[in-house]
Amino acid sequence: MLIYILRRLALMVFVLWGVTLAAFLISHALPADPAAAALGNNAREEQLQAFRERNGLDRPLAVQYGLYLSGLLRGDLGTSLRTQNSITADLRQFFPATLELTLGAVLFALVIGLPLGIVAALYHGRLPDLLARLFALLGGATPVYWLAILALNLFHERLGWLPGPGRLDAYTLAPPVHTGLVTVDALLAGDREALVDALRHLILPGLVLGAFSAALLTRMTRSALLEVLSQDYIRTARAKGLRPGRVIWRHALRNAALPVLTVLGGLFGSLLTGAVLTETIFSWPGIGGYATTSAISLDFPAVVGVTLVAGLAYSVVNLLVDLAYAAFDPRISFS
Amino acid sequence: MKDAATAALTWSARTLTLALALGLTAAGAQSGRQSTLVIGGDFSDLITLDPGVSYEFSGSLITGNLYDTLVAYEGNDLQTLRPRLASSWKVTPTATGSRITFTLRNAKFSTGRPVTAADVVYSLNRVIALKTSSSFLLTDVANLKVGSVTAPNARTVVMDLPKTANPNIVLALLTFNVGGVVDSAEAKAHEQNGDYGSGWLKDHSAGSGPFTLNRWDRSAQVALDANPQAFRRSASIQRVILRYMLESSAQQSALNSGEIDVAWDYTPDAFKAAQNNPKLKTLKSGTFQLAYLGMNSAKGSPFEDPRVREAVRYAIDQDGIIKNLLQGLGRKTQTIIPIGLAGSNPATPYPYDPAKARALLKAAGKPNGFTVDFLVSTGACSGGVPCQDLAAKIQSDLAKVGIKANIRQLVNAELLTAYRAQKAPLIQVGWSPDYPDPDGNGTPLSDYNAKSLAWRNSWNNPQASKLAQAAAVETNQTKRAALYKQLTELMVKEGPYAILYQPYKPVVLSTNVMGFNRNANGDVQFEKVSKK
Repeated sequence: MLIYILRRLALMVFVLWGVTLAAFLISHALPADPAAAALGNNAREEQLQAFRERNGLDRPLAVQYGLYLSGLLRGDLGTSLRTQNSITADLRQFFPATLELTLGAVLFALVIGLPLGIVAALYHGRLPDLLARLFALLGGATPVYWLAILALNLFHERLGWLPGPGRLDAYTLAPPVHTGLVTVDALLAGDREALVDALRHLILPGLVLGAFSAALLTRMTRSALLEVLSQDYIRTARAKGLRPGRVIWRHALRNAALPVLTVLGGLFGSLLTGAVLTETIFSWPGIGGYATTSAISLDFPAVVGVTLVAGLAYSVVNLLVDLAYAAFDPRISFS
Repeated sequence: MKDAATAALTWSARTLTLALALGLTAAGAQSGRQSTLVIGGDFSDLITLDPGVSYEFSGSLITGNLYDTLVAYEGNDLQTLRPRLASSWKVTPTATGSRITFTLRNAKFSTGRPVTAADVVYSLNRVIALKTSSSFLLTDVANLKVGSVTAPNARTVVMDLPKTANPNIVLALLTFNVGGVVDSAEAKAHEQNGDYGSGWLKDHSAGSGPFTLNRWDRSAQVALDANPQAFRRSASIQRVILRYMLESSAQQSALNSGEIDVAWDYTPDAFKAAQNNPKLKTLKSGTFQLAYLGMNSAKGSPFEDPRVREAVRYAIDQDGIIKNLLQGLGRKTQTIIPIGLAGSNPATPYPYDPAKARALLKAAGKPNGFTVDFLVSTGACSGGVPCQDLAAKIQSDLAKVGIKANIRQLVNAELLTAYRAQKAPLIQVGWSPDYPDPDGNGTPLSDYNAKSLAWRNSWNNPQASKLAQAAAVETNQTKRAALYKQLTELMVKEGPYAILYQPYKPVVLSTNVMGFNRNANGDVQFEKVSKK
């Protein structure tokens, strides 16, 4: 098991190194000058030159990459060309917001997708199944930005039930930052008002971002469960006179968990990196917006930084999912 | 099998109830709403709140409320200098140029320390030493170096300028945040590796302005608190919050629900709708931006012939652009100095006249027109119009006279790189001056040697260079105005530009906000705002 994990981690390092190389080469292949992008239309030639020297942009590409890698080994992701901040500090600030949104979305996906899938499987072919499948179809086919604008308009503007964009109301002071997850920070500070406000703000973007995943999860749960339910051992369990609830929860769901888990792991990774649209529409200060502004302003050290962190998060979640297989299915072992 | 389904549903129902309960508990905090001003907008250009470093629109907007400059403009009058930290000033000629003597008023920093002449000297020297994006205003335009500004006593600041610097321009650029006065004791206390406290001032404030910085949560919000020590004190608003809302749609929804008081970035279409909404007030605030077409006049290019450049100016339907694309959010102008600055020229010698354009092309030996690459940004252009919509209109206008413009959309950074390398045959772009003085347009647009816009369009006209340089240093206002008249007339006839429009910046606010004004520089004096 330990060897398996170590091998996976080694592979991860290799993948991440590939990510830096690809991102570095792509950003330098663009026919545009990062100095001009950072300093704008009015900047003069001397300013541009000074900027290039200060940021090492006048050096050969190989030297720049070497310097970048050696910084990386020391845990230094470099300095953002746009903000002149340490990228590590930038990411420490923006990543928790995205993580919080993603966790919210996964939670909503679970709360909606799992039960719907179960109900659909149990009422196979009847009305509840039809409704659940309709939801799965719509949820999977609705573009996120459209859903976001629709949800904002209905629940925020028209009905006034839920707050609009942002992580907190403008009049609510944010709790002191420990983890960067506002909900957790509010909890740590014992600030009930901020906690409620943060949770309320999480509902709409979480639902919107989680809708696609919920739909996928509904479909996966339904089909996985349907397959399991037709197996002999379920028939046996039922024949033994076990209560239907027990049959479903203990026997069927446990065996249907594997495909569901796979989907969930993949979703988590894609949510983490794919929150850009939701973050923009909900003015959510996460890495999606950071990556976009960085890319537009040719801030390639920041772009590589975001890519690395996203790659790392994705790899870690996938590893955890693979490890969880072993926990769910005794037939799988990593020795 | 029923109870399994019931259990699954109960589980999710319980969780959803919790969610809804959270949703329906209306947030209690009503207190403070009256004295808090919330602005929603795209503030993503904000990089630093150090007044000596900040060069971006959002940075200037905020630092203008955190720091005081020696002199300033009030309201929408951007031609009359008013006292700010300096209660009076005097310009006297010297053997080597000129000298400006400022007398300071009694003012205090938010830290409680008095504002002294030494703080002014420190603040200006710090900008020179830091070599920031805006340093060139002091070093290249004002020709200042460390030692040029001195403090003979705590209330007097003396600034010595060489002949090459025009004291009127220097005074104008000192109104920009580059002239913001920092509490030197505070900056020195937070200095790290010789950065003059710049790292700390990025997200802290040490000024004498009407507000202090409470906190800046990057990409989320900036919170300002009223400064009780300020001499231009905020009577009503105690806190200003600038919330990042990139999308016009998010701003609309937040303004309609009362979550924000002011929306900073409406699209022209949304602005038009807001004008008919009785719950909203709309402000068409002026700008000094010019949207223009740049025509590369290099040898061998179709635009080398001045008649072709004139033809383009006749071919563009400015009124149609302003009426239909901008929904009226733009002014018609054709000369290189924007309306509202001294020296701007109201002449519009080019009516929309495709027949005349075709005749000019024929005279230039191009009766069948020509084909040219047309470089266009992917984003929004001045006035909030999508650049591609504007480009499509230009393309169709040009097509009517036989010029086939092939639109090439590039991200802004790429577009600028091509332009800077003189590699843009025809380009759609904008310009705004760095300081509210006609020289902010005169030199870059006319003087090839300044290596700015005239250079980027490969347009070299010694007479224009000479006029721009003479106008820059002329201190007699009447003579200066006459020089700018000559320069604008020459440029409108010969220059490599077709000015498209001068946009308004739309601001939408809720009707209970009073006293909110945004001037053409983009400044808002938050201390003058109140809420009903």
